[in-house]
Amino acid sequence: MKFKKSSKWLSLLLIVTLISLVFAGCATTEEDEDQYISVIAKGFQHQFWQVVKLGSEQAAIDLDVEIYFTGPEGESAISTQVDMLNAELAKDPLAICLAALSTESVLSQLQEAADKGIPVIGFDSGVPNAPAGQISANASTDNENAAGLGAEKMYEAIEAKVAAATVASPVTITVLSQDATSASVTGRTIGFTSRMYDLVVGAGLTASVTGDYAAANKGDAATSAVNITVVVGATPDITDMTNAATGVLSASNLLGVFLSNEGAVNGVLAALNAGSVLPEGVQVVGFDAGAGQKAAVSSGLFLGSITQDPFQIGYQAVALAVKAANGEAVADIDTGAKWYDASNMEEPDIAQLLYD
Amino acid sequence: MFKLIKKGGMQKLFAFSALILIYLFFAFTGKNFTSSATTLNILASSYYVGFLALGATFVIISGGIDLSLGALMMASALIGGELYRDAGFPLWLCMVIMVLFATFVGLLNGLMVTKLKLPPFIATLGTMMGCLGFGSIITGTSSKYFPTILEPDGWFIRTFFKSANGVPLGAFYLLAFFIITFIILNKTKIGRYIFAIGNNEEAVRLSGIKVDLWKTLAYVISGLSVGIGSIFYAATYIVVIPNTGNGIELQAIAAVVIGGTSLAGGIGSLTGTMIGVFIMSVLKNGLISINLPAPYQVFFTGLVVIGAVLIDVYRNKRASKVKLK
Repeated sequence: MKFKKSSKWLSLLLIVTLISLVFAGCATTEEDEDQYISVIAKGFQHQFWQVVKLGSEQAAIDLDVEIYFTGPEGESAISTQVDMLNAELAKDPLAICLAALSTESVLSQLQEAADKGIPVIGFDSGVPNAPAGQISANASTDNENAAGLGAEKMYEAIEAKVAAATVASPVTITVLSQDATSASVTGRTIGFTSRMYDLVVGAGLTASVTGDYAAANKGDAATSAVNITVVVGATPDITDMTNAATGVLSASNLLGVFLSNEGAVNGVLAALNAGSVLPEGVQVVGFDAGAGQKAAVSSGLFLGSITQDPFQIGYQAVALAVKAANGEAVADIDTGAKWYDASNMEEPDIAQLLYD
Repeated sequence: MFKLIKKGGMQKLFAFSALILIYLFFAFTGKNFTSSATTLNILASSYYVGFLALGATFVIISGGIDLSLGALMMASALIGGELYRDAGFPLWLCMVIMVLFATFVGLLNGLMVTKLKLPPFIATLGTMMGCLGFGSIITGTSSKYFPTILEPDGWFIRTFFKSANGVPLGAFYLLAFFIITFIILNKTKIGRYIFAIGNNEEAVRLSGIKVDLWKTLAYVISGLSVGIGSIFYAATYIVVIPNTGNGIELQAIAAVVIGGTSLAGGIGSLTGTMIGVFIMSVLKNGLISINLPAPYQVFFTGLVVIGAVLIDVYRNKRASKVKLK
């Protein structure tokens, strides 16, 4: 018994020693090592992030800096990402590039970075609604511009039919969106409808934007030759998106459909599988990639789709971080978007952007 | 000397030396590993696992296992978040309910094992799945978040995570909880009976002790620890996502096993568990400090667990040899 007791007290003593050792460690001065930039992504497993990583590594080579690219195992692993951010802050990097899984969970870390004078660059979706001044700049897709590119491509394909439209026999172009709340989807909805509106009006016709997203509305449908309508699913669930898509496809005088994200694309594909018919001559433009969408584009079912440019997202994030670390002024960068259709999607520089 | 080995003293020594060696390794190779910031991170990322592991030690010493730890912690945090954000309950009341809920589920685990005679592995596997589902149901599968530092209830973070000037307050709560559980396990009837049940349940039953009561109590202690752990999880990470949390129990169980508690029951120590918790935490932060990607942490923790269990098996063989003589 004596042995047992003393061994317990001994271990307790050892624990106390360890804790004091750890605290003693605090006092030691930090070594001056190579300075580097931390890049904390939302995950690894999607091809999207692999391409972001390639981009950031290329920037590191071009700009001659060291980077450490890391990320949690999945997009629900918030605690892992917070631990990573804490650990990176402790390493005193020159700057941190961050695609936060949740803004709320990193607020104290952002404050700490600001206190330590470590600039934080947002990339991809960045750190939405972060307190003013705590994110130096963002490297992300300008969703309005990207969707505008989709409007231009669709307009090229339907230009002749649009020109023939009159108030008496109007035509319809529909945007299908999965929600009216997320910044990326609403940005694309606005971007597409306003660019299409401008193109139609620029051709000397009357146009209107109406539908489920009031912020996009313009003009009066009753007196327009071209009606641009926005349809938002009841919920982002695939069943509700499929129902919404069925309704969209059954509209009369339909010329084109823009699908603002993969959820909308999957809704249309499910509706077609369930028996809906894509009327002849209707041009469909999608957004993002994914297996179903890629197949629809390569088979010619869709006119084409818009993809973000993850390589540039990674590249520009590191480039902004280097600038910010050098004390230069930085501003948000649009990392651009690319159009892909059956003719170019096999080209290597496009193919690498088409993540599943 | 044999007594030391039998009671897990030897493994505690191994575990402690391993902790020191791992720490020293990263101190020399890691970037800023000995800085106060990293030290804070090591402590901070050990809070919630620490509470879970201390509670689980009781169950494992009693010869059982609790697989519901991680899912239960998340369910409890989700309930707290739901009541706080959607029902507008004051934060202190949410915290009380979180602890009560987890303790209640612990009691359920205990009753299933003792009264319904379910194997602990199956009973707690069931509650694990039940908790995963329950958390999703009550929140409508939407994530819940606790007050951020920018909100009036930001004291929550400043009290349970770290203070405004960076003092890792959670570590003190963990230390206090360690001392309390240490006394319960080593100085009270509860602890003595739990050890005895883990050693030889039948003998304890035959000597007229209410085995079911003390065994159930081990699960209740585990549930209570999970409830407290969920408060520290919420304060550290703010956001709680439904249908996550399974896997955390394995970290806690690994910490217990690394610390020399035998999965066969009857042998174990809370000091060892704390060492196990810190080994995992030092590994987690150390591997990042040498710029190794996240999956390496899981990999190396796996190696440490295998090593620890190997020692456990070896020790049991030695112990049974001694008995034969």
